[in-house]
Amino acid sequence: MSQATMPDFSSSVKLKYVKLGYQYLVNHFLSLLLIPIMAIIAVELLRMGPEDILNVWNSLHFDIVQVLCSSFLVIFISTVYFMSKPRTVYLVDYSCYKPPVTCRVPFATFMEHSRLILKDSPKSVEFQMRILERSGLGEETCLPPAIHYIPPTPTMDEARSEAQMVIFTAMDDLFKKTGLLPKDIDILIVNCSLFSPTPSLSAMVINKYKLRSNIKSFNLSGMGCSAGLISVDLARDLLQVHPNSNAVIVSTEIITPNYYKGNERAMLLPNCLFRMGSAAILMSNRRSDRWRAKYKLCHLVRTHRGADDKSFYCVYEQEDREGKIGINLSKDLMAIAGEALKANITTIGPLVLPASEQLLFLLSLIGRKIFNLKWKPYIPDFKLAFEHFCIHAGGRAVIDELQKNLQLSGEHVEASRMTLHRFGNTSSSSLWYELCYIESKGRMRRGDRVWQIAFGSGFKCNSAVWKYNRTIKTPNDGPWSDCIDRYPVFIPEVVKL
Amino acid sequence: MDILCILSSLLILYLIFKIWKHIDSKRDQNCYILDYQCHKPSDDRMLSTQISGEIIRRNKHLRLNEFKFLLKAIVSSGIGEQTYAPCIYFEGREESPTIQDALSEMEEFYIDTIEKLLKRNKLKPKDIDVLVVNVSMLNSTPSLSARIINHYKMREDVKVFNLTAMGCSASVISVDIVKNIFKTYKNKLALVVTSESLSPNWYSGNNRSMILANCLFRSGGCAVLLTNKRCLSPRAMFKLKCLVRTHHGAREDSFNACVQKEDELGRVGIHLDKTLPKAATRAFVDNLKVITPKILPVTVLFRFMLSLLLKKLRRSPSKGSTSNVAQAAPKAGINFKTGIDHFCIHTGGKAVIDAIGYSLDLTEYDLEPARMTLHRFGNTSASSLWYVLGYMEAKKRLKRGDRVFMISFGAGFKCNSCVWEVVRDLSVGECLGNVWNHCIDQYPPKSLLNPFLEKYGWIREEEDADTFKFRT
Repeated sequence: MSQATMPDFSSSVKLKYVKLGYQYLVNHFLSLLLIPIMAIIAVELLRMGPEDILNVWNSLHFDIVQVLCSSFLVIFISTVYFMSKPRTVYLVDYSCYKPPVTCRVPFATFMEHSRLILKDSPKSVEFQMRILERSGLGEETCLPPAIHYIPPTPTMDEARSEAQMVIFTAMDDLFKKTGLLPKDIDILIVNCSLFSPTPSLSAMVINKYKLRSNIKSFNLSGMGCSAGLISVDLARDLLQVHPNSNAVIVSTEIITPNYYKGNERAMLLPNCLFRMGSAAILMSNRRSDRWRAKYKLCHLVRTHRGADDKSFYCVYEQEDREGKIGINLSKDLMAIAGEALKANITTIGPLVLPASEQLLFLLSLIGRKIFNLKWKPYIPDFKLAFEHFCIHAGGRAVIDELQKNLQLSGEHVEASRMTLHRFGNTSSSSLWYELCYIESKGRMRRGDRVWQIAFGSGFKCNSAVWKYNRTIKTPNDGPWSDCIDRYPVFIPEVVKL
Repeated sequence: MDILCILSSLLILYLIFKIWKHIDSKRDQNCYILDYQCHKPSDDRMLSTQISGEIIRRNKHLRLNEFKFLLKAIVSSGIGEQTYAPCIYFEGREESPTIQDALSEMEEFYIDTIEKLLKRNKLKPKDIDVLVVNVSMLNSTPSLSARIINHYKMREDVKVFNLTAMGCSASVISVDIVKNIFKTYKNKLALVVTSESLSPNWYSGNNRSMILANCLFRSGGCAVLLTNKRCLSPRAMFKLKCLVRTHHGAREDSFNACVQKEDELGRVGIHLDKTLPKAATRAFVDNLKVITPKILPVTVLFRFMLSLLLKKLRRSPSKGSTSNVAQAAPKAGINFKTGIDHFCIHTGGKAVIDAIGYSLDLTEYDLEPARMTLHRFGNTSASSLWYVLGYMEAKKRLKRGDRVFMISFGAGFKCNSCVWEVVRDLSVGECLGNVWNHCIDQYPPKSLLNPFLEKYGWIREEEDADTFKFRT
């Protein structure tokens, strides 16, 4: 994606005001059109005088039948209109898991661990150190207890206990926050990409909380870091069909069974970046929840680039030369993410951008394609459509790339960077930690729109648009409660270890 | 005034048009099966008694007691000589599978079935709007659904879901997702791909409850095309009438009936508890309680309620419940044949089919498709229902208006069932691509016994575990 400029006069300061005026004109076109119409009607009324108005009124022959029919018609039309509208889906509340202090992995611990495990390959240790220095992670990210052992003990039991720890804590917190009773849950969706025991994690949740036997449960896995938004998509589709229901989504990533024990460099990268975390989200379409819901789901767009081979192979699980299983991240990851984002924007742009931006984009497209003018492709200004951005904290490079492509300021990507610093890459739940950051900073106002963007293996780019429904006082619980005052911190380019 | 009349008549016409459109859109919410294709692996993957014996003998961890246990299980399993196993079993590598083995097993399955399915229906991969993949025991990155999208170059906006770990009932869960999507989105075509991955899941230990899983599961899979497009409904085979899911995860004994875990030595396997049949029965009864009112005619239900009431009044309070016999499933006491014509039972094992047959009061004719599928293809997990359906179709049993009842069970413990109505007469003409086509005339065979007993029956006489030598 190249720099967005309109040709020639982009440097002029006056253009900023022209652009603002133009935006205002196009966005409020219909309302502006009403003004002359209302003026004409007002003038006509004044001209006619009160007796003529009374005459017109009396000649309308209001008998009882007509009145009844017309009122019946009005009621009927409004009923049909409301019935055919798609149900609004709300996010009532969500809670993110805060790992215990005992699971913290400061740089020193990580490097010592690495030196002991990989004592036969100092080059790999060196590589991990360099990655960690530039990763953008802080000293408070956490790994599950099984990984703290030297060597790690990734048994199925340990993986299950990590799952129980992260999922049940987040769900208990959600129940407390929302006052939801376990037996009231109608739909349960659990997504965990890399760990999928039988019975599924969704069955584990049903077992722990004794949920109803007619619950609709789904267990998605293998869908990468964008699986959280895929679960939201599924919940939305189900809530359209089932009236008066709620859905609980649990997004997590279980690190224990997936710690790479070999020394192949491209596969050591996930070890440095992925950390423990999870989020539990309550969504509903009930009228009664409308008043206490935090967000309204406006749009959700999914893009799958699996048809392109390069995109497909860029995040690939395979065995290394010694037969150890790990995830290989290709070097083209950034470029592929950029392309996937472009494809996603093409679909979501028309849904969220104001008319002014769309018109500009269309004009520039026409100019380039039909008249073959040498204009650079116009990138719409998404800052006009959203107040806040939650970019999946996949790694420092992903955030940098997206900041450049979407022309976002430091404050827009602050939530993503700080989440990466404090919690690391928690995969599908990172978007919820970022949202919690923005709320904890007190930046959310009623009517604010948030854009969540996530990438996943395959290669997918999913994005969701939420609108803040109500103004509540800044939450003082949650994973950021004890450290929000320290943030934002300055994250240097390289942290010398 | 004429203007007013014209305006109000225009308004009324518009209103009528809107209402008609609204009612019409309800017609597009039906879920039809356009076609389905089961997978028949190549004949060099057939698992005969000879090869099974070889595989058992190879396992260094098994002793005489385990052999006796296995013999008993396999002899009474109802599985025949022509079921299919993954390639690595034949290469002797079942204890050390690689990721590539698991992926090629799946690739062989989906490339074969989806190709045939799309070609037969003259559809292109780009026409598919929804893709749901459920393979319980395989979790790869990128997911199997992404692999399918990559192989067939499907569209960017395809709605895709990858379900795992939902057991043998995952097929019905995938249909549930598609059914819900069809209610909101019009004119869509969905592909459900269901299978089971065996290569990476061989249990290499000697815990009895875990080696059973090694012997029972077989290779197989199915791809199903579903749609709610009006233009395709004349070509459709089945229409979904209702779908009910029951989850007993809240009960400890149901949840622990089928668990994947490590044994004492850290080897991973699926533990099948002794309480599994009871858990299955309970889940089945609960499921029936919900689905029966939806599928049987009102008169039958009314009569059943009356008889239940009379029984309760006649029975003295001290006698206690008469419905539960210790091991066998309770009899439903209601005639399901009044609302259902064919029964598609998950081929979990001979015991499962017998129990359901007893509880629903079914004849051998009704249970024949399930028994024959178990004999010919074994327990192919989630896809077994489609093989049973294929048998009914091949035997020309499905007439227009018939209702088919699908019952499946899964770990957790779940019981999911659904009812399909046959919309096109399938008892005439040839069924293209049916996996039973080549052998349907040999079914039902005279005997369902496998030669395991005559070949290995001598193990039962062996007493001394130390001097015992496995002879093939």
